Amino acid sequence: MKSLNGFKPLAMILPGLLLAMFIIGYPVLDLANTSLQEVSRFGQLRGFTGFDNFAEVFSDPLFWGSLKRTAIWTVTVVLGTLVISLPIAIILNDDFYGRGVARVIIMLPWAISLTMTAVVWRWALNGRAGLLNATLMDMGIMTEPIEWLAEAQLAFTVEMMIGILVSIPFTTTIFLGGLSSLPQDSYEASMVDGATRWDQFRYITLPLMKPFINIAIVLNVIYVFNSLPIIWVMTEGGPANGTDILVTYLYKLAFRFGQLGKASAISLIMFGVLLLFTVIYVVLVMRDEKDTAAGEDE
Amino acid sequence: MYLRKFRKFACSALALGIMTGVANAQTTVDFTVAEYSSKTGPFFDEVAAAFEKENPDIDINIEVVPWDTLLQRLTTDIAGGVAPDISIIGTRWLLDFAQQGIAEPLDSYLTPEFKSTFIDTFMQPSVIDGQIMGLPVAASARAMLVNMDLFEKAGATPPTTWEELYEAAKKISALPEIYALGLQGKEIETDAYFYYALWTFGGNILNEDGTSGLDSPEAIEAARFYKKMLDEGLTQPSPTNYSRENVFNLFKQGRVGMIFTFPMLIPQIKAEAPDLDYKVMPFPEKVTKATYGVTDTLMMFADSDVKAEAWKFIEFAYKDEWRSKFDRGEGFLPVTKNVAAEDYYKTNEDIAGFAAGLPYAKFAPTIANWEEIADVTVRALQRIYLEQETPEAALTAAAAEINEIRGK
Repeated sequence: MKSLNGFKPLAMILPGLLLAMFIIGYPVLDLANTSLQEVSRFGQLRGFTGFDNFAEVFSDPLFWGSLKRTAIWTVTVVLGTLVISLPIAIILNDDFYGRGVARVIIMLPWAISLTMTAVVWRWALNGRAGLLNATLMDMGIMTEPIEWLAEAQLAFTVEMMIGILVSIPFTTTIFLGGLSSLPQDSYEASMVDGATRWDQFRYITLPLMKPFINIAIVLNVIYVFNSLPIIWVMTEGGPANGTDILVTYLYKLAFRFGQLGKASAISLIMFGVLLLFTVIYVVLVMRDEKDTAAGEDE
Repeated sequence: MYLRKFRKFACSALALGIMTGVANAQTTVDFTVAEYSSKTGPFFDEVAAAFEKENPDIDINIEVVPWDTLLQRLTTDIAGGVAPDISIIGTRWLLDFAQQGIAEPLDSYLTPEFKSTFIDTFMQPSVIDGQIMGLPVAASARAMLVNMDLFEKAGATPPTTWEELYEAAKKISALPEIYALGLQGKEIETDAYFYYALWTFGGNILNEDGTSGLDSPEAIEAARFYKKMLDEGLTQPSPTNYSRENVFNLFKQGRVGMIFTFPMLIPQIKAEAPDLDYKVMPFPEKVTKATYGVTDTLMMFADSDVKAEAWKFIEFAYKDEWRSKFDRGEGFLPVTKNVAAEDYYKTNEDIAGFAAGLPYAKFAPTIANWEEIADVTVRALQRIYLEQETPEAALTAAAAEINEIRGK
């Protein structure tokens, strides 16, 4: 195939690039502008104040608490999702009776909006009238109802588990796509050499799935880091800010307390954190790939 | 197929053109309405339709927004330059709107005759720096609701003081699966549930000098009382998992003996738990009588281009027939004298029970950053209920934080 070089390929992606830059760039610039201004209760700009908003954010203990919880939330949910989704995808990739139905069941939660899922869970986890307590008590697992959302640590744990649950369909889909593209001959060859299923997983599936796992990590980190509905609907970041992550804290600041300047500073910081993560991750992955490619050439 | 689609498109484009054509010939007044219940939207549609019939050149565009998102919605509308012409708002936000020059002072519009239709108590919270910045549109006062069946079963008498409440609570919570007092510990108005005790114990949200009253001995005593009830199992366990609705639901299910609530719960009880034998009572006393008076305000936007038309609609909507229908439909206390004089508000025992508190009702102070101050209070209460801090430590810290927000 004749390869395109010079200006041509650039010119071809230019319109798309410009559109993307406008759609992504404009809000970010607007945000940056807002974060450097004094902003009234109702979002009217009242003049340039330099980095006052940022100084205020950094001196706020609730910001640091939320940042810490955001890290815990993101790492736990993303790792949990990956660890559960990969085996599910491998099982669903095997041919078995009723696989179609099983796939639909795994994908179904995806069809329900996050907010709706969170509302249903909020009802189910209600201490006295909730379905979960009623079920557990009927089964004789416990005698006293548990107030799942009353105390921050337990509430946050429950919210992370729900976070994992709702991230599984998307991640499983990525993995299924990856698995179906794996070359079958490597598996056949390894069987001839006497590899066990674990060996196949460890030395064939996992390395070949690496690009898919990478994309799942990047996308999930971005989604989970920015995810408002689960925590907002179930606890609004409470009790006593014990389940606040950056995005819920930001929402409270902006739309309850009317501190739009401070809120835009936080969202800019969040944008920076995500950008940094993505860049570092992509660089690491690319270097890794180059090394492998170089190794193969030798 | 393709052609049919195109035709459809052409038709809708034509229809759109005609519609905007009509709208251009009229003045449109945008009115944002807070959704009190499922009746709110249809009620205001009816008022608007009647008004438009008399004034064919004015079009009232009503937008119903749920309370939870109302402030956020107005904030984004104002920031985006597409604010409505008039809106219902919580009176606690009015000061912020007035200070930012978003609310239009109404003194020049109000004729003495129109002004005299309002009950003064409800007009007061809308007066900022001597100017009337809005009109009271809805009012309620809070009261205690007791489940008479449970009191009878436990052999207790409905309390009038906090000591009596404590004694009655011990008897009621001895019943199996029953809690004496519903205690709210989560989300909107968790602070109000505490103010009821704070006020009747003799405390105040703000001291005379404008500093926070949360670290006063009265406030700490009130919080200790709630905590004692919680510790002794006289409230439902884990209040931090119970929002206002959750507590009210326990009452509807007949599982708590007493709750503190608003008049709007009465129609709900009648519909959902018609057999519940309840009684409306004033808050228990310690040092003084008190109740929480809450008003909502109808505000006009200073940026509006159609103030004359908007005002014409406001005057129309405040006619007795509409006010009466609105107050009864939503279960509010009347804000105008003529409606208050109706027999309904004297003979109806429930409404009279709530209205009885009006002479000594306290209102949330009209101060800037009220939502943030309320949130500080809620967090302090949650730390107390979760036993993370003592009432004294939590409230002292909260008072310091509030004073900082207030710049005192």
